[in-house]
This record gives sequence, structure tokens and C-alpha cells, in this order.
Amino acid sequence: MAQDLRQLLEAVLPDGTEWGGLRRVRSAGRGYEAKDGAFESAFDYVDEGCMIEVLAYGQFAYAALASLEPGALREAAQRALAWARAAAKRGVFRFGPDVRPATVARFETPRRLDSRFGADLLMGHAIALTRAMAVSTRIVQACAQIHARDVEQEYVSTSGARVEQRLHLVGRGVQAIARDGAVTQLRSANGPLARTHQGGWELLDLEGGEAEARALAEQALELLDAPQCPDLVGDLVLAPDQMMLQIHESVGHPLELDRILGDERNYAGASFVRLEDIGTLRYGSELMNITFDPTLSGEAAAYAADDTGHPAAREHLIRDGILVRALGSLESQRRAGRPGVACQRAQDWFRPPIDRMANLNLEPGRDRLEDMVAAIGRGVYMESNRSWSIDDFRNKFQFGCEYGRLIEDGRLTRTVRNPNYRGISATFWRDLFKVGDPSTFRAFGTPNCGKGEPNQVVTVGHASPVCAFRDVAIFGGEA
Amino acid sequence: MTVMAELEARFDRVCDYMLGQLRGGEAMSVDFAGEASEFMRFNRGRVRQAGQVRQGRVRFRYHRDGRTLDSAFETTGDPGPDRAAAAQALGAARREAALLPPDPYQALPTAQDASRNIFPGQLPDPESLPDLVLGPATVLAGAGADFVGLHAQGPVCRGAANSAGARHWFAAETFVLDYSAWLPGGKAVKSSCAGRAWDPRAYAAGLAAAVPRLEALARPGKTLAPGRYRAFLAPDALNEVMPMFSWNGLGERGLREGESAFLALREGRRALSPRFHLAQDFTLGLEPRFNALGETAPERLPLIQAGALVKTLVSARSARKYGVPSNAAPEGEELRSPVVGAGDLDQEDVLKALGTGLFLANLHYLNWSDRDSGRITGMTRFACFWVEQGELAAPIHDLRFDESLYHLFGDKLAALTRQRSLVPETGTYDRRALGGALLPGLLVEGFTFTL
Repeated sequence: MAQDLRQLLEAVLPDGTEWGGLRRVRSAGRGYEAKDGAFESAFDYVDEGCMIEVLAYGQFAYAALASLEPGALREAAQRALAWARAAAKRGVFRFGPDVRPATVARFETPRRLDSRFGADLLMGHAIALTRAMAVSTRIVQACAQIHARDVEQEYVSTSGARVEQRLHLVGRGVQAIARDGAVTQLRSANGPLARTHQGGWELLDLEGGEAEARALAEQALELLDAPQCPDLVGDLVLAPDQMMLQIHESVGHPLELDRILGDERNYAGASFVRLEDIGTLRYGSELMNITFDPTLSGEAAAYAADDTGHPAAREHLIRDGILVRALGSLESQRRAGRPGVACQRAQDWFRPPIDRMANLNLEPGRDRLEDMVAAIGRGVYMESNRSWSIDDFRNKFQFGCEYGRLIEDGRLTRTVRNPNYRGISATFWRDLFKVGDPSTFRAFGTPNCGKGEPNQVVTVGHASPVCAFRDVAIFGGEA
Repeated sequence: MTVMAELEARFDRVCDYMLGQLRGGEAMSVDFAGEASEFMRFNRGRVRQAGQVRQGRVRFRYHRDGRTLDSAFETTGDPGPDRAAAAQALGAARREAALLPPDPYQALPTAQDASRNIFPGQLPDPESLPDLVLGPATVLAGAGADFVGLHAQGPVCRGAANSAGARHWFAAETFVLDYSAWLPGGKAVKSSCAGRAWDPRAYAAGLAAAVPRLEALARPGKTLAPGRYRAFLAPDALNEVMPMFSWNGLGERGLREGESAFLALREGRRALSPRFHLAQDFTLGLEPRFNALGETAPERLPLIQAGALVKTLVSARSARKYGVPSNAAPEGEELRSPVVGAGDLDQEDVLKALGTGLFLANLHYLNWSDRDSGRITGMTRFACFWVEQGELAAPIHDLRFDESLYHLFGDKLAALTRQRSLVPETGTYDRRALGGALLPGLLVEGFTFTL
């Protein structure tokens, strides 16, 4: 970074500031979308700005602006200080600088291919993917998207923090919609933008992509001719691309400490988990092991430190089915008196960091997929999330998938369309009875996790093996 | 110079520069979203996080030789750096676009009209907000509730211009206070107030109105078995359903490409109630009529009349692709400023007309569960009640619903209220949203609950 942010911060902080921090973010994004064998859209942007944060009178307050000009930053720091002063007599908690560690760290996403691929190559690849999906006149939409974002972050503080991070994200989406009369079916590569990872262009799979796209289109056609998923209470086997959503909605969000503390109640919601549950609650069966791990490079939310300088570390949140730790930043940990993780993250320079997921994974078990299916008399295997809804305490959920296969007498049999299931988080995970071995383990991500007031979206990663759950309410669409 | 005036001058400067730089064979549309927002987030009646955000984002669409590219950059308000950022972005767009294949449905800018609407406000000093907003809320503490939410205020602006000559500006100084009052058992009353001038009396009255609702919510809760119940959806609950007309909704592109849940309506395989009318109506005055390409939408666009689909939302690109007239929808063909037609049920008669059933104040986290049949799922949220013989009997433990819009707005729609509520848009993803909806309440037979 050309400018010394620490010197700049020291120069602009007003008197009366107990602590100050400056976080600069520069994002460069590119995207290419093809549809039905032709160009659909393309974008290429750069965004840059910073957030100055002050601590005074026990309150943190912020000001965000696009300029690093000292006069503008000085004015911003004064506005932040005025906010801290105004909040002081009505603050929800009195914070100290201990929740902004003096971390010095650097991180850059490892990439095998880090050269800049041209728009011609990337759009050409997207177009080729959509052409590969043109396998029938019943395919009414073939769409492919390639997104890339390079994020450069620098964070400094008056207590000595200096964190420099360069994150490189690549996301791909491929989908086919098939239609025959009143029936339409969508099939995609693991659900909407689930293939979001950190890395380089090696993630694109230029050689194998077209064959996979063709197979997806053929599965969309297969679904058109498949019967509705039947209504039943049976065993449910979820592929990793649906486990991603299951973990995200019914483990990740309910374990966010700021939700448990009530901050989110007016918007995203609260949690069925109580503070006193941490350390004692049987969240799931003994096969359930959930880890928070931003140190896993390659998954979508890898970093060296969060946006307050809290160093990243791998932690178990759920060990052998028992809730041992929540997703709480240092601020939430102080307020709650409970352990947490390095998870105070912001969408960008114009939003303040709050408690978020990062890489949140279910650890592999010992079962091979064949053995899992063989252990089931009647059930359904589901892949790729299509629909998601859960209550504001993160308990009663209903999720839908793109693709289902019946399991009958220990064998995968007929394909079924519109497979859905519903359950209650607080008990669902206790019925986890099979966890796949490492051969079934896959990582996915999403750039669209929404939360917070003001609203923010961040990228999160989730990895999981195939898992099986007992006695789940399963159903299909309208006959 | 005021912040609003500075943002407008910034927009004009950037547009003049970028459009002035265009060479032969090039075309462009430019749009701008700017704000100087104060945010105060609160929990337990106390400040959780507060600060200010100043943004001025320029997005532009560049066309040359049949190629199309979207780009964007952030402005600072400082003319020198902003001009440098614009020059750099334009240069990058020229290089990038040259590598792209032709856009088969390129819609070059043609709109040439102009508009300028500015709505100054009288907003409180930000430093007074903790006392102004949180002080009066002690009345809720008296009812045993704590106070959670977000106050956002300040100027918010939108602009659009293009190389054919269109130029539009919309600016307003507004506040939105979005809040809920929570009882210890996890039940809450939700409300919001918004406008251009802070009115302490109206705010206090709104808080006071929450107190009897909290008292009703404090009664023992009722657990209902899944099944079909007669239900009344208040305007705030209906507002949660409205995005389903945008997401896989009434856009022409989605209907053509098999994404829309309203294919069956378009093709006459399903019908909606003759009581149901839906329009896009900018006479609400909450957001500008122009889109990012500088095109101006009709002031009022009926979409569903007496249950029949009469128009769809058509962007310039869809118009080119499908050979149908554009109605200046945004690129995503989302519904803006929705208005649902009123009915003949008086608000004061709602509970009597409901008789025995569910009064649903709010809904939460809706999604499609089966698009072909228009089926949506979601949850009840906040102050929802079991009603017996026209009287509030007990708050309910929240329920999951799974129901088709073809029933909700079709054969199960029993009545709509004569009175309608203006529900402000409170979203703040990327920037403070503009807009809102004018909505009645809905009385529905046999609403399906599953969990």
C-alpha cells in the first residue's frame, strides 16, 4: 500500500479519542454472463473507500467515506467522535480498547493461476457452457455466470494493529431450465452461486465444464419427466451442496452471539439458543462436529484476522453434538461473558463489522455413501438447494432441493422432482445418524449472506460430507 | 452548499465529463446513487452501534460496436480525483468492451427527457437522536418491553443521464425509524415511522399505540396444530408477499424463460380473484420514475386487473429481445411502488369478519416452495393472534405456512379492506432504499399452515 495509513490515522484523530482504527477496502470485480449461446451481460468495476472508527466514553462509533484526503478524514473522525459522545449516556455496553487487538498479520489467497484472464476467454467459456446445455428444444434457458473479485484490505489502529489482506474470489454459476407444458424444472451446478471459493482461475475447470453443463441440462430434462417427490416421513440423505444451506441456516445463524444478545431481533431475528446453553446444550447427535475455520484457505471466507484485528483460529463450536462455543466477536464475548471466535466482519468499507459466519464446516465421519444408502429402508436423497425459509428464532425450517432420488430397501431408485423437507433445528440435528467419510466431503460458498442494520451481505464458506437424518417430513410439489 | 446540492453538483460534473468524453460510435448511460446517512442501531433501548456513511456511486453502461459493458466507481466529491476516477473507469471500459462478443439484444439509449425533483426535509441533529428516539421509548419499558431497531436519516439521491440527452435527478432528505418492542417471552410488536420531518408527537403516539398490543401479547400463547385456517393478513404481512411479484414474478424475461411463477396466469391455466388488482404506481411519490438508463416509466401501470394479467414489466433489453414495447422497467424487471386495490371491508370490522381464525400482523422469510403452482412458504412473525368470535383470544406460537398465491389472491381471497396503509421501504443493502407500497389487509379462507 502506497500510503502509510497509520500515520494518516494518527494525524486526523481528534483530541478526546481513546482509540482509533482505520480500515481501507479496495474491491475490483468482474463478471460475465452468457445465455442461450450468446452474450447476456458483463461488468467490470472498482470500488474504494475507508471507515474510520473511534472509541470514546466507552462507545465505538464510525464514519465511512470514499476519500483518504486528510481534511475529509479529519472531518469524518470528528463526526465519529460526536456520535460516540452522543451515545455515551445511552450505550448498551461500555467497551474498552481490549476488543481491538494489536494484531500484525498478512494474508493473500493462494492461487495456482493468478494471471488476469481476458474478457474474451471468460465470456467465451460462459458461452460455450450455455451451448453445451442446448440438448433439447425443451431447454428454455441455459445460463452461465463467471464472477471474480479481488479485495485488498488494510486495517491499522492506534494500538498497533496492522493487518493487510488480499482476498481473491471466483464464483461460477451454471443452470438450465427445462419446460414441458405446465412443468418447469431448474437444475444448476450445486445451487445458486454455490461454487464460490477463494483461489485463482484454476477454479474454472475450462476443460471439464462443458461436459458437466450438458449433464446438468440432461438432468433438468430428467426432472421434467420425473414424478413429484412423495409425501412421507422417512430418512433423508443430503448431499454437501444442500448440507451447506442446512448448516448455514440452522447452525450458523442461531449460534451468532449478537442474535442471542438480541441485536438482530428487529431484522434478521433472534435465536432459539440461550446464553446458558453454551457449554451444555445437546445440539445434535454425537456424530455432529462443527468447526469455525477461517484459516482454511480455498474456502470462500478465509482470512488471517477479522475486521477488528482479531486473529483467525480454528475452533470447535459443536463437539460430539454438544454446543461448546458461539459465533461471537470480542465485543459480543465481553457483553455475554462467553467464548467466541474471530468473526466481526463487514461487507465493505461503508458498513461496520458485526458477528458473522466465515468458513463453518461439518467435520467428516466414517460412512461411505453406499453404506449410508444401504442402511435406509425408505427415504429420499436430495441435492442442490432451491428454496430456503426458516423462522426468526432459527427453528422451524422448510428447505427445497433441485434433484431427488428415492431410496427404497437400501438402493437409490427413481428420480423425483420438487423434493422438499421441513423440520425444527432444535431437534433435527439430534436425528443425524450417518456422517459421510472424507470421500464425500466438499466445500461450497455463497456471496449472499444477509444480516444487520444497516443491512450487509458477506461471503461465507461451508464444507460438509454427505449426511443422513432419521424420520424427516418429506414432500413434493402440487400434483 | 448543502449536502444535497453538493451531491447534485457532483452528479452533473461526472455526467458532463463522461458523456463529453464519448467518441463517434460510442453511447452511454450513467446513473448515480448518493447519500449522507446517519445510522443509529439500538438494542434494549440503548445505542448498540452508530455512525455516518457518505457514498456517491456512479454506475455506467458503455456501448460501442455492438458491445455492452457495465462499470462503476465511487466518487468523493472532490472534482480532481472524481474526474481521474471517471477517466480511468472509462478507459478500462473501452479496453474491456473491445474483448467482448457482440450483444445480440443491445438496447442503445434513446430516452431524451429530463426531470428534477428535490424534497428537502427537517431532520434532527444526529447528536440529539439518542435522546429523541430512545427517550420516549421508556413508555415501552413500562409495559415490560425492550426496544430494538434502526434509525436512519439524511439526504438520499438518485440520478440518471444518457448520451441521447436524458437527465434526471431525485433527492430527498428523509428518516426511517424501523423498530420493535419485545416482551421477555420472545413476543414483539413491530412498527416503523418515516418521513421528511421528525414529528415527536406522532412518534410518541405510535409508541403509545404499541402498549395495548403488548398487553394483549403478554397473555398466554396458543399452540395451533397445522391445518387450514381462516386468516387476516394485515398490510405489513402483505408487504412481505409483494417481493414475490418481482422475484420470479411479473418480469417479461422471467415469463419467457420459464422462471416465473405466473406462467400459469399468463397462459390462462390458473386465475386470480376478480377482487384482486395490482399496479405499479409512482403517484405514491416515494421513488423516482426513471431507471438507470434514464428512461421514464408510466406514472401508473396496471399489471393485474380483476384477477387478469394485463401487463408485464418490460425492460429495454426484453423489449429488444422479444419484440414487445418497453415500459421502462429496470434491468431486473422488479416491481416498483406497488399498489394493491382496496376492497369493501372496513378496518373496524376486520375481527368481526374474520370471526374465528388467525390475525397475522407480519410474515417472515418467504420463498418459493413450488414455482409451477405459485406456492410460497414462510413464517408468521411478531404480533399474530388467534381470534375467536371476533375477539382477540391469544397470541399464537409462530406457524409455518405453505400456500399458493393462486389461492391467496385467487379462490380463497374473501375480502380486502377499504382502508390501505402506506408501508415504507426500510431496506439498506448497499444503500438506503427508496419507495414503499400502498396495501390493504386481506381476508383469506383456508390458509394452509404446515408446521
